[in-house]
Amino acid sequence: MLRGLHSLETCTYNGMDMTVLERQQARLKWQQQQNYGVQNNNPIELCASSVPQIQGFLGSSFGSGQLVEMKKPEVYLGSDDFPKFVNLSVAGPEFSASKMDLVPPEAAADYCISRTSSCQMTAFQTAVMNEEREDVILKKMESTTGRESFNKRKVEAVQDDKCKDKRIKGEVEGESEVKTKCSTEVSRNSSKGNSKASEVQKPDYIHVRARRGQATDSHSLAERARREKISKKMKCLQDLVPGCNKITGKAGMLDEIINYVQSLQRQVEFLSMKLAAVNPSVEFNVDNLPAKEFPAYVANFPAAAKSPAMANLACLQFNPLQKAVSCMLDATGHPPQTATEGIASASISIPEQALSSSCITQLQPFSTWNTDPQGLYNVYNMGFH
Amino acid sequence: MSPHHLNPSSLKSRFTTRFLRALTNINAQNPISSSSPREILQRYRRIKVAADKSMAYSVRSRRTWSRAMRWKLRSRSWRQASSVRRLKITTTCHQAIMKKTAHERESKTTTGEEVGFGVQTDGLRELVPGGEAMDICNLLDETAHYIKCLTTQVQREQIAS
Repeated sequence: MLRGLHSLETCTYNGMDMTVLERQQARLKWQQQQNYGVQNNNPIELCASSVPQIQGFLGSSFGSGQLVEMKKPEVYLGSDDFPKFVNLSVAGPEFSASKMDLVPPEAAADYCISRTSSCQMTAFQTAVMNEEREDVILKKMESTTGRESFNKRKVEAVQDDKCKDKRIKGEVEGESEVKTKCSTEVSRNSSKGNSKASEVQKPDYIHVRARRGQATDSHSLAERARREKISKKMKCLQDLVPGCNKITGKAGMLDEIINYVQSLQRQVEFLSMKLAAVNPSVEFNVDNLPAKEFPAYVANFPAAAKSPAMANLACLQFNPLQKAVSCMLDATGHPPQTATEGIASASISIPEQALSSSCITQLQPFSTWNTDPQGLYNVYNMGFH
Repeated sequence: MSPHHLNPSSLKSRFTTRFLRALTNINAQNPISSSSPREILQRYRRIKVAADKSMAYSVRSRRTWSRAMRWKLRSRSWRQASSVRRLKITTTCHQAIMKKTAHERESKTTTGEEVGFGVQTDGLRELVPGGEAMDICNLLDETAHYIKCLTTQVQREQIAS
């Protein structure tokens, strides 16, 4: 008996992975043992009451019977607490004193069985619903509650006991009243279940939040957002910088970006050098220039077409170009390493351009203008990579 | 060409007009008389400044890098204009910037170490104007825009030259 009690206690205290059925079985076992213990002391009195109860336990496998089963052990426990039972089982002499307390609840439970069996058909559906609800509640309790819920349930069991005592009186009056009471009980249970569910849900909710809390920590959230932002920007840069798609890893990509920016800056330097070296000796009049001569330019830069500057630029002379570039390198004194490379490679192509530019003084079509620097740029780039 | 290039208010066309105007001004002010290295160097500097200026001003002060570049160019022109004012202003500006960079460096070291490419970001900071006082996110953003503008500049200068 002590072992059974203990198992029941552990299964309700720890009851983490106990299903309702298991719990019922444990209770049944305990009850049998208890009955056996009681029978040892007082066999005649309890024999009649215990046998139908067990039958009820075994027989009522459907509907509201389960609901009653759920409560019955608690009814047993109802008026007399566990400590009492423990004392009772440990210390024999006290058992006879508390035995008298034990008997009436059992009788009440018997009545309860008969009542539920009578109103089973009417309140079947509601009871099923209730049972489902109870199952959900029990599962929740299994997952979250420990000793506290056990105590609560004991208190509720006491209340149930009282209600059932009332019901015994009511049953004398008639079955209709029992039905109403059954319905009230259902409603009460459901309300209790709701309150219990809310009670149970609270720690569950906190538990979930606690689990998330590791990730929803403001610092880690901010860090994650920052990293996402950085990777997004890196993707943008990847699209901009040519040849950056093949490189994996942010460090390599950044290296490539740095190289590209440097090359662009040096290109700008070099081109402005080239512009400086070029001197427009022949002043050109825009009005004399037919518009059809530079359709490509007009198509590309309509805003710039208004200014006469392009006309001036068109008649730049390239005579001292190569000399000027070499002079620039001497004059600046600190040409960048890669820039010298680029310029060195570019200067090879400069004579060609100088040759072509001498022809251009006689106003060549602008298409050549567009292609030549492109080739120069390519040569320049080749020198870089 | 896409319609974007035909848009007269686009950044590229704005840059082109500015740059060409600056070039004409330079050519008008100092018509090339000789091809001596010094003169060419002087002109190179002018053209470089004009290119930078046109780039920074066509972007307007929307971007951090353009603001930094404008500030640099302005301080440069002021330095040329008057030495007394330059001393006062640049010292205050430098103090402010140094403060900012020092503050930024503290946070930068931590963030750079976290991400794991502190060296590269430092290199990028030196390249992008005004990059000393930026965190990585802004730096990458500014770098993207700066690259766009630089490519535009290079294209236009290629066409102009």
